[in-house]
Amino acid sequence: MAAIIGLLTVWGGLQLHRHRMYKMPIVAGPGVTRVVRLSDYSPGLKKTPGDTNVFFLEGKEKGGTVLVIGNTHSNEPASLLTSLILIENMTVEKGTVIVIPQFNYSGGRNTRPGDGYPLYFHIPTSWGEKKFRMGNRDASPLDQWPDPDVYIHYPDRQLLSFLDVRNTNRTWPGRPNGPLMERVTYGAMQIMRTEGVDLAVDIHGAETMFPVTNCIVAPEKSIRLATMVSLTVKAKEGFDSHVEPSPSGFRGLSHREIGDHSDTLPFLLEAPIPFLDQPTGPKTEKLLLDGKDPFLLKLAAKQKLFVPYDEEGWPMSKRVGQHCSVLLELMRQYSRKNPDRAIQVTNVPAYAEVIQNGVGFYYHDPTEADKRNVHYN
Amino acid sequence: MPLNGNHMSIQSQTILILVVMCAAYALAKRRKLSVETSILAAAVGGGLAGAVMRIPPLADLPRHLIEGGFTYFDVILVFTTATIFMAVVSASGGVNYVVRGTIRLFFNLRLIALLVLMIIILIPGALTGAGSVSLLVVGAPTALALGYLGIPKKRVAAILFLVAGLSAAAPPVNIWAMIVSAGTAIPYVGFELPLGIPVLLLSTFSVLFLGWKRTEKKALAEVLEEMPEPPPGMSGWRVALPFVVFFGLVMMYRIWPFATPILGLAMQFVIAAVAAWLVSPVRINILILSRDTVKRLLPLLTTMVVVGMLQQIMTATGVRGLISFLVISIPVVILFISLAVIIPVSEGLLTYGGAAIIGIPLIWFLDSIGLHATVVIAGLSLLWPLGDGLPPTALIGRLSVLVTEYTGSYWSFLRTTWIPWLVITIVGILMVVFSAKLDFLVRWSM
Amino acid sequence: MNIIMILYYILCAYIAFLLVWNFIKEKENKDHMLHYLLVLVPLVLRLFRIK
Ligand SMILES: [Zn+2]
Repeated sequence: MAAIIGLLTVWGGLQLHRHRMYKMPIVAGPGVTRVVRLSDYSPGLKKTPGDTNVFFLEGKEKGGTVLVIGNTHSNEPASLLTSLILIENMTVEKGTVIVIPQFNYSGGRNTRPGDGYPLYFHIPTSWGEKKFRMGNRDASPLDQWPDPDVYIHYPDRQLLSFLDVRNTNRTWPGRPNGPLMERVTYGAMQIMRTEGVDLAVDIHGAETMFPVTNCIVAPEKSIRLATMVSLTVKAKEGFDSHVEPSPSGFRGLSHREIGDHSDTLPFLLEAPIPFLDQPTGPKTEKLLLDGKDPFLLKLAAKQKLFVPYDEEGWPMSKRVGQHCSVLLELMRQYSRKNPDRAIQVTNVPAYAEVIQNGVGFYYHDPTEADKRNVHYN
Repeated sequence: MPLNGNHMSIQSQTILILVVMCAAYALAKRRKLSVETSILAAAVGGGLAGAVMRIPPLADLPRHLIEGGFTYFDVILVFTTATIFMAVVSASGGVNYVVRGTIRLFFNLRLIALLVLMIIILIPGALTGAGSVSLLVVGAPTALALGYLGIPKKRVAAILFLVAGLSAAAPPVNIWAMIVSAGTAIPYVGFELPLGIPVLLLSTFSVLFLGWKRTEKKALAEVLEEMPEPPPGMSGWRVALPFVVFFGLVMMYRIWPFATPILGLAMQFVIAAVAAWLVSPVRINILILSRDTVKRLLPLLTTMVVVGMLQQIMTATGVRGLISFLVISIPVVILFISLAVIIPVSEGLLTYGGAAIIGIPLIWFLDSIGLHATVVIAGLSLLWPLGDGLPPTALIGRLSVLVTEYTGSYWSFLRTTWIPWLVITIVGILMVVFSAKLDFLVRWSM
Repeated sequence: MNIIMILYYILCAYIAFLLVWNFIKEKENKDHMLHYLLVLVPLVLRLFRIK
């Protein structure tokens, strides 16, 4: 009996260990001018599993600055996939784009007990399948332990669930020497303050049964711009992404605290991720990627979803495409209103192109690339 | 025809796996295996049935099982340390001392005695969000005190179960509300009055209903004679100090959250246990004591592990989704009534997992038809603790029986709770139905 | 790793030790022996920093 349990533990344990150790290559494209570490802005992160790569894509001409944050929640992978499209393809003509593809580095190496996720997902490309870790919403207790009995938000003292001390969308604006995840968000705040970031875009995914999905969440100061973008993508590209006001009573969220603690205009992008909905079939890699589920389809017929839903599901390319287009449109609208702080980029596909080519089309073979351009996350 | 995904709809696959899970559970129970082993059988059975259709593949099954075993890892640590702490206090004679004191002071003031004991049970659970902590920390002494007030053990267990359950729902920390709030992006604020008022009223009702009648009348002197004598040298401060240390550590983080290092409940209990050990007037062998405590806790610890495993397999195979789907598909009026069953049963099956599986989509749905989410969560919070008395897990129910040392059947204990159970259920459901009218409670809390 | 985190690993090791001790002492009840092993699984994996 002991032998069987021991064997199964070693078997499963090895799989979990390999998942935590798996390094995903990112091929820095022609637009990347330098790669720094988040700990350069938040020294408390030095030599910790909270530290992560920060990619700078700087244009020849001076202009505005955008910060794009992916994998705040590492179980919402459209954000990572979108960040990688930017890093591997985008060139910046004017201004600067800063991309943090794996914001909660620890969460990306964590798994979610009780929720039965697959450990990896694979995106087909012309050179083979690119393999990604499926992470968790929260940082791993191997990196930040223990949790308090209740998490008291800094600096507002709002009581949050004990789990949220490891959730990088509750620990904003953070502290230089607080719990590890507060040091992570503090690092991003420091980037915004020292680099003069104009726009911060935090990319997420949300359940189809969650009222705040398929939208741009924006506080008062960025809501006008968000509304312009929402109307434009609807008219020009034909997809919905409505605007949700950021509630002022709910602390610790990026779209709340970034705006309140810096001059940056924050936006949080949500695209539907049926995989995370409670009433779905098996939690398979297929469901994660195509978003097709028979239970959700039935609930859609009873109008219990907050997004349109049919037999086509919500394929990853559609979600990533939305994120790309909303981001491009945000930069375009902002540049038009603030010509001195303009940001001009090329080689970022829009919604229709991502759907047509698929997400993998934009990823490069790390074995073919110059070693100096391959970064691991 | 092979059982293969290409030939079978996802719905029929998940229904089939659910059937296999139930069959595996029933079979294990019939072979006289314990509840815990039977839950494991259900998880493994469901996983194997899923593996036939590669949801998940067989090679992933061990990983899913051990990963699921981590779902309540922190709860396991808190349970263990809290119980060791209380065992030290008890072995030092502190428990006897407190019970003697309470009885001596309030023996002839029954109403006050009952309410004081109720408050003592409510506090640890309210602060930590876990009724189990109430029972582990103050359950044994209050049970003794209630016994000396002439309440039979069965009723004492019932009182402990109901009040400890309500203490978990009480503000400031209510883990169900926190899980649902976190999952639905509703701020965890404004719960003080919508939770505090019903919890106080319902616990008072439960305590008085079950405890008012004195079944055997004894004189104070006679009772004191019967009670075990605390060891010489035991004194008020020796009992109080470990508790002061524990609540001091809890309060310290509340008062100076940004200057206090995060210790976590488990370490707070360890420190309190060390304090209790140091001030004990009798020498305690901490190794033997903690070994025996773990032995006593084994069923509860195992439950936490296997329920996590079951939950993981249910989700990976889609069975959890199926159940969640069925609940959301119920028409509204029937849904309100069936909450009385659905909420406690889901808690009994999955403990906090139930709040996530059913609570989160339910709140999204009820919010969308115009109910007030905060009050709805508060109302449901009254129903969740009832489920902690229901098998297979029955965490709080079993702990109540354990600390009371009630030896009758579990069902005879559970039946004793039925009138307060019913009243709590009705209040909870009415809060859900009339949540929009009760929103002033939320406003007044902020 | 900070001191509190190290204390938590020591705590896990202590509880794991208690479980093993009980497991060795338990010679009769196969069901209980299985339960000790089951509770040990997450503790051991945490101690080895696997999960
Ligand atoms: Zn998110």
